[in-house]
Amino acid sequence: METVLSIQKLTKNFGKLCAVNQLDLEVKRGQVFGMLGPNGSGKTTTLGMLMGVTNPSSGSFTWFGEPATHLTRKKIGAVLEHPIFYPYLSGQKNLELNAMIKGADSANIAKVLDIVELSARKDDKYRTYSLGMKQRLAIASALVSDPIILILDEPTNGLDPMGIAEIREIVKRIAADGKTIILASHLLDEVQKVCTHFAVLRKGKLMHSGPVDEVGKGEETVEVMAYHDDLSILLQEFIGSGTIKKENGVFQVMMKDGFHSQDLNKFLFEKGIITSHLITKKKTLEKQFLEILAEAH
Amino acid sequence: MLHLLKIDLKKMTSYRTFWVICGLYFITLGFTTASGMEILKWIASKFEDFGSSLNVNRIPLYHFPDIWQNLIWISGLFKLVLSVMVVISITNEYQYRTLRQNIIDGMSRFEFILSKILTNLLLSAMSVAMLLLIVMVTGLIYTPELIFVDIFTGVEFLAAYFLEVFAFLSYALMLGIFIQRSGLTIVLLMLSHMIEAIIKLNLFRESLQPSIGWLKQFFPLESITNLVPLPFARYAFQEIQDHVSLVAIAIALGWAFLFNYFGYLKLKKADI
Repeated sequence: METVLSIQKLTKNFGKLCAVNQLDLEVKRGQVFGMLGPNGSGKTTTLGMLMGVTNPSSGSFTWFGEPATHLTRKKIGAVLEHPIFYPYLSGQKNLELNAMIKGADSANIAKVLDIVELSARKDDKYRTYSLGMKQRLAIASALVSDPIILILDEPTNGLDPMGIAEIREIVKRIAADGKTIILASHLLDEVQKVCTHFAVLRKGKLMHSGPVDEVGKGEETVEVMAYHDDLSILLQEFIGSGTIKKENGVFQVMMKDGFHSQDLNKFLFEKGIITSHLITKKKTLEKQFLEILAEAH
Repeated sequence: MLHLLKIDLKKMTSYRTFWVICGLYFITLGFTTASGMEILKWIASKFEDFGSSLNVNRIPLYHFPDIWQNLIWISGLFKLVLSVMVVISITNEYQYRTLRQNIIDGMSRFEFILSKILTNLLLSAMSVAMLLLIVMVTGLIYTPELIFVDIFTGVEFLAAYFLEVFAFLSYALMLGIFIQRSGLTIVLLMLSHMIEAIIKLNLFRESLQPSIGWLKQFFPLESITNLVPLPFARYAFQEIQDHVSLVAIAIALGWAFLFNYFGYLKLKKADI
């Protein structure tokens, strides 16, 4: 697959503070790439360098295999941190300005306003918009040049649950169009729901990078409950059992490699036990994320 | 180039403050320069002594070729109003952080400052056009005997005026880029002449006057003022410089370039 973004040893120092430290990263076409990290881990600084507003201390990056100039930025739609617009201009006029700078066809404006459902309010001044509308206008401005890549930095920051769901739907729809998306967020659930790949940053260092599917792989935990007094003994007899914990009357069985919930179910059934509760628990991104951060200590 | 100018004008033309300040600038500029003769006549009619001892119509304030330098010197006083607009335009970009978004959207930093410089050039050109119109109309009305050569003697002051306005607007733009806050920038802009005067006063004490006095003309604000020398002393029978000095033009051009270049350097190095 074609590499869209390639970062080599990118570093940014603010005085003594090293905000981004020797970062290497690759994003390929069509990926929905989640950048995870606690607040202050260097996500926005990295994106700022990629978008030409922060000057790197050292290292380099290429967009589409070429060194970045302002011309490559025109092909990227990006919203970093907060939405930024001229408060005294209407949403429509703001987008016209974005389109002029990007050299985009102004006919796209009506289309992107439709996508983010702001057509009805397009002639109102930006300063009268609610936070959710501002975020949606920001996404519209990123889409106005029909970019190949979309960069969204905390697009759901400060939104209510309905606003978050709306933005998530928009991101999913855009991703379905085959666009490459880089999404910085600290909402892990968000990233797991929409991203195909993810990277974890901590104190400016890359801790992990890989596909989201792999998060669920590896060890599996099975929750079991059955009306049987010797359940705990029987569970220990099962050769696939790792550690067993009891929480709120439910057994949590950590499976050994190669064993799955159906094996345990079959074993118990053969022993004459019918379970009343059996759930396979895959590792969540949240758990993986916390583990990655914990390893780093 | 035209595209960049259009971008900057689009930011401004829906901004009410822009229209108010520019409107006030052009109205006061036009009114003041065009009505000088009428005011003199009015004063003369109010005070009998004034009228009898001095025939107002014989003061050649509005006569070609004097009118060029006279009106252009007066107009120079109004450039401060226009420079406030320039300061607001640039500091807004910092305050709203729209500068950052402009860069993210694909403007280079050079293009950004160029769009502001182009607007400054346009505002300077509009001031010149306004002055040209007023000088032509009032000059033709008030000059008793029109001599064709006289009409265009002194037209070079228009070029000096263009540079005077543009250099000062460049100074305002640079100050805005360095300070980034509108209030502070405007105060500093208004105090600039005074600050420069204090520095000169301290540097050029009388003992040093003969040896390094010629350095004065190289000071930035002085170089802008020197473009169009004060003309009115000639009506008190004193010698004045009634032409544009090429040295003054060269120095002011140098400063106009440096103001914009310093602004660009600062913009280029900054994380925004």
